[in-house]
Amino acid sequence: MSQRNRLGTGGRIDRTRPLSFNFNGVSLQGFAGDTLASALLANGVDVVNRSFKYARPRGVMAAGADEPNAIVQLGSTEAGQVPNVRATQQALYNGLVAKSTNGWPNVDRDVMGLLGSLGGQFMPPGFYYKTFMTPASAWPKYEQYIRKAAGLGRSPVESDPDIYDHMNHHCDVLIVGAGPSGLAAALAAGRSGARVILCDEQEEMGGSLLDSRESIDGSPAAEWVATVLAELATLPDVLLLARTTANGYHDHNFVTLHERRTEHLADLAPQANGRRQSRARMHKVRAKRVVLATGALERPLVYGRNDVPGNMLAGAVSTFIRRYGVIPGKTLVLSTTNDHGYRAALDWHDAGRTVVAIVDARDKPDGDLVAAARSRNIRVISGSAVIEAQGKKRVTSAVVAAIDIEGFRVMGSTQELGCDTIASSGGYSPVIHLAAHTGRRPVWREDLFGFVSGGVPGQIAAGGVNGRWSLRDALEDGFEAGARAAAEAGLNAVTVTPPAVAAVREGKAVALYEVPHTKPTMRAPKQFVDQQNDVTAAGIELATREGFESIEHVKRYTGLGFGTDQGKLGNINGMAIAARVTKQTIPETGTTVFRPNYTPIAFGAIAGRHCDELFDPRRYTALHASHLERGAKFEEVGQWMRPWYFPRGTESMHDAVQRECRAVREGVGMLDASTLGKIEIQGKDAREFLNRLYTNAWTKLEPGKCRYGLMCKDDGMVMDDGVTACLAENHFHMTTTTGGAAGVLDWMELWHQTEWPELEVYFNSTTDNWVAMTITGPKARKLLAEVADIDVSAEAFPYMDWREAKVAGVPARIFRISFTGELSYEINVQANYAMHVCKALFEKGAKYDLTPYGTETMHVLRAEKGFVIIGQETDGSVTPEDLGMQWCVGYKKPYSWIGRRALSRPDTRRTDRKQLVGLKPLDPKVVLQEGAQIVLEKEIKIPMPMYGHVTSSYFSPVLGHGFALALLKGGSERMGQTVYLSSGDGSLHAAEVVSPVFYDPKGTRHHV
Amino acid sequence: MSDVATFNAHPAVAVQAESPLAISRITVATLTSAQGAGVCVREHALLGHLILRGRAADEGFRAGVEVALGLPLPLKMGPVSRDAERGVSVQWMSPDEWLIVVPQGEDYATEARLREALSGHYAVMQVSGAQTVLELSGPSALAVLMKSAGYDFHPRNFPVGKGVSTTLAKSTAVIRRVGEAQWELIIRRSFADYLYRWLLDASEEYGVFVAR
Repeated sequence: MSQRNRLGTGGRIDRTRPLSFNFNGVSLQGFAGDTLASALLANGVDVVNRSFKYARPRGVMAAGADEPNAIVQLGSTEAGQVPNVRATQQALYNGLVAKSTNGWPNVDRDVMGLLGSLGGQFMPPGFYYKTFMTPASAWPKYEQYIRKAAGLGRSPVESDPDIYDHMNHHCDVLIVGAGPSGLAAALAAGRSGARVILCDEQEEMGGSLLDSRESIDGSPAAEWVATVLAELATLPDVLLLARTTANGYHDHNFVTLHERRTEHLADLAPQANGRRQSRARMHKVRAKRVVLATGALERPLVYGRNDVPGNMLAGAVSTFIRRYGVIPGKTLVLSTTNDHGYRAALDWHDAGRTVVAIVDARDKPDGDLVAAARSRNIRVISGSAVIEAQGKKRVTSAVVAAIDIEGFRVMGSTQELGCDTIASSGGYSPVIHLAAHTGRRPVWREDLFGFVSGGVPGQIAAGGVNGRWSLRDALEDGFEAGARAAAEAGLNAVTVTPPAVAAVREGKAVALYEVPHTKPTMRAPKQFVDQQNDVTAAGIELATREGFESIEHVKRYTGLGFGTDQGKLGNINGMAIAARVTKQTIPETGTTVFRPNYTPIAFGAIAGRHCDELFDPRRYTALHASHLERGAKFEEVGQWMRPWYFPRGTESMHDAVQRECRAVREGVGMLDASTLGKIEIQGKDAREFLNRLYTNAWTKLEPGKCRYGLMCKDDGMVMDDGVTACLAENHFHMTTTTGGAAGVLDWMELWHQTEWPELEVYFNSTTDNWVAMTITGPKARKLLAEVADIDVSAEAFPYMDWREAKVAGVPARIFRISFTGELSYEINVQANYAMHVCKALFEKGAKYDLTPYGTETMHVLRAEKGFVIIGQETDGSVTPEDLGMQWCVGYKKPYSWIGRRALSRPDTRRTDRKQLVGLKPLDPKVVLQEGAQIVLEKEIKIPMPMYGHVTSSYFSPVLGHGFALALLKGGSERMGQTVYLSSGDGSLHAAEVVSPVFYDPKGTRHHV
Repeated sequence: MSDVATFNAHPAVAVQAESPLAISRITVATLTSAQGAGVCVREHALLGHLILRGRAADEGFRAGVEVALGLPLPLKMGPVSRDAERGVSVQWMSPDEWLIVVPQGEDYATEARLREALSGHYAVMQVSGAQTVLELSGPSALAVLMKSAGYDFHPRNFPVGKGVSTTLAKSTAVIRRVGEAQWELIIRRSFADYLYRWLLDASEEYGVFVAR
């Protein structure tokens, strides 16, 4: 197929650089500078897609982000598949492969189209709900088929090999849109010395100036664009971002820009300088001022069969001719309500093809462009409109009639004008999406027939988006906005003299949101309002008749504006039709809400580099290399990578844990306890602060001693625990749970800063400074004696003391505390020296079979001792007394402490609260399920009251049976009772309620 | 002195010390020399790091710090007090908190000097094992920071000499501008591997050289 619609000259394409591409399996050619849409039109491709609901053939209608029909699936490989691409915004590159998103078996012959062509009467809004309503149980089946028939493309089934990233920016002035107003604003702000970001969604900056018929300073407008861009490029604090869509406007002038960095080059990102580059970049911009220079979108006219390929926006026709050197047909009929639309006819005529007629809804059109048309002897039919298009896969003629806009009726007879293209212009809608993203309602301006920004603090609208349509006004508005934005950002704004632009006399436009037909709307041929979602004027009328009068209800019932284009072309017409039918004004009817993103973007662009290995930080202790060497399997605890267990050979997890448990009970094991939070506390009131923070007393803890402490929230519920050592009179070393570390430090700062600022105490996290190696087991003392330079005898170094020593030559603090119930020492050294000490321990420990163990074994060992883990035995609703830890609550402390008051409430004093107990399954082989609910009776009846649940459950090698910790209502009074627990397979297990301390209840093993 | 337990963490004998990055693998393409690199990454490992807490309004406290460190105490967020020759710096972290960085092994002596010079309500804590310093330099170092943190690194807001504490990717860092195109990042030990890999990943497109 040749480029039969390509003009010999003109446009911004490079005819010396032909590009090959493939559309629906057919090889075609275009030129560098084309979009996929312009290349398809150049090749005379009329049908680019099938419509969403009725499967009607559709062609390119617009030239930019507003395109509703030419939505394609892009990608030559499975991994490179991208759905939902607007052909009008996709730059052509060599080797581009695109497919229509709808149409089966293909867009030219579509089976669904049969249904669609019948659907005139049979597929009203709500069709699916109404038709497939019963039986309700069959809906999932119906849905399966309906889904298959609908949709706009598909996701790739392979993962995306490309990378995406984010970049943060701060600027004085962010300007969205690089048309005349945006460029003017950038120049004014840039020359004022402002930090400026100018972004534009198109391949090239310049906006409407790239296809303008007008001159600036006596030269073609595009030359002024080049001059301005060249100057902006020399300003060090001006950043120009083409191919960058401002997609979301968030509070406080935070704007997300989406830059497509490689999508104009290939379907997967090519390397640059031999290195990976991101396919798309999300710029997160914090701007002091935002200038919206987003222009306006042309509204199509709503008439019968206005969706047949060959029906286009007037402005798009001009853009294709003047920017891309493509004329999308041979014979044109233009239907317009305003002067600006005349450009399409003039451009068409000047390109040497036939303009059959200009049909103008106004009775007496006049203005410079009207005069220009008349001077070319183009037929102008006034007071009329195209009321219907003829043709199936391409327009064959336009039905024209005189209309009475006020009376919403056709007057007199109709005439049929043969043509293959109908261009329409129903006026212009300011692109106010970014002014509405934060929820600010737009304001209707009857003089513009459009909504403008409701005014957003820090945001300045300029040019078309502000209703300043003419080039002269748009430039002037842009310069003013740029200078004002710079001044408001605190700079000395310079005044720029606008360039010379000839004034264009324009006649007044009329409002025409739906063209009347000879038949009433409900019976007329389909008049499409929202082409992407197949919403017709009749559908909107029907919706309002069925009671969906609010515009938000109309939207949801008909689908108006629900497409991936968010109804850029159809919304205003649709609202106006709803307003007419409900006999309201447009402002009374109101608008629906625009939401980010302005155009669809890939999820990858939102994720950026926060994926795969960089998704979440992984924290490592200084002993990680040792764990790897010893074959650890790791468990994520918060963000920490902790050794879970250390399998030897082909050992299973169960076997490894049993072996590690026995090693600690019989020999000596080693645990990396470095992840526990550590907080250093200094100050003369440190002790008093601990008294108020912990439930227990700290007044008498001497230097050299350690104590276990329990912390409650102010509601009396346990929040954290750990051992704190008195290093010196005014100096403490606190430990917290691994997960609680940051929260506890915040908690301490909160109370200190807001409640007790008079206490002279400072806290600082030292978690990462220390490595803590726990050696535990009957042989721990022998091992310690070999590596430490102090007397480690029971007399010299008793339980719950700490000592300073050198371990393997490295200064250490050794805490004799135990979480296993065995003789234990926690050796703390500065992290940089940890690997040295660790190696020495394993060297000296070899003869004791020093066994590294992980979190799983730690859990079993502590549970055998009835030691709780915060977050496992507790869930924010458990008091110290519920845990049986009355011994750790100092009601006699002179000053109140956090949680004390709450612990005197009747609810926390109830005796039937859930309390910590042990459960011993009657069948010793059974390991109860964690989370299993406890019932008191074996026979199931309804209701079946539940009395608690299992919090921890393991098999104990030293006990030889399974055992569990549980929270049980009135548990302390139920010792010896038999309770029942269900398991995942439906079977019921009986267990005896016992003390939570299963092993060495007298604590003789660690007191040695 | 007896109300606080000081601790010299350093062994008297020669012991191999390891930086937090000892376990880190480089998984991106790197250059073999700094020539033409957009970004150079260099770790300044094993330096002495201390946290100083105290009352900025207390004249004696300020004077004492100056005596002990030979540097004025910065009283607001912004310029870092620094003696490049001695390798000593003091940075304001919060209204009552400062970060002191000294050469390797000098943390204990620095603490001792501070305790000698200070009295009343203050605290000194060693965190040398808790953090490390990464230097980022080169024409694209700024872009790497912009890809990693939301703070405004433009010279108008971040002149040479300034230091802040801020978020970096999904962790935190102290960031100081040492030269026009030279930055110091002080990062936590346990997050060091994550941040190192994040920064190298962000640097890759500009050409990155890792100095050893």
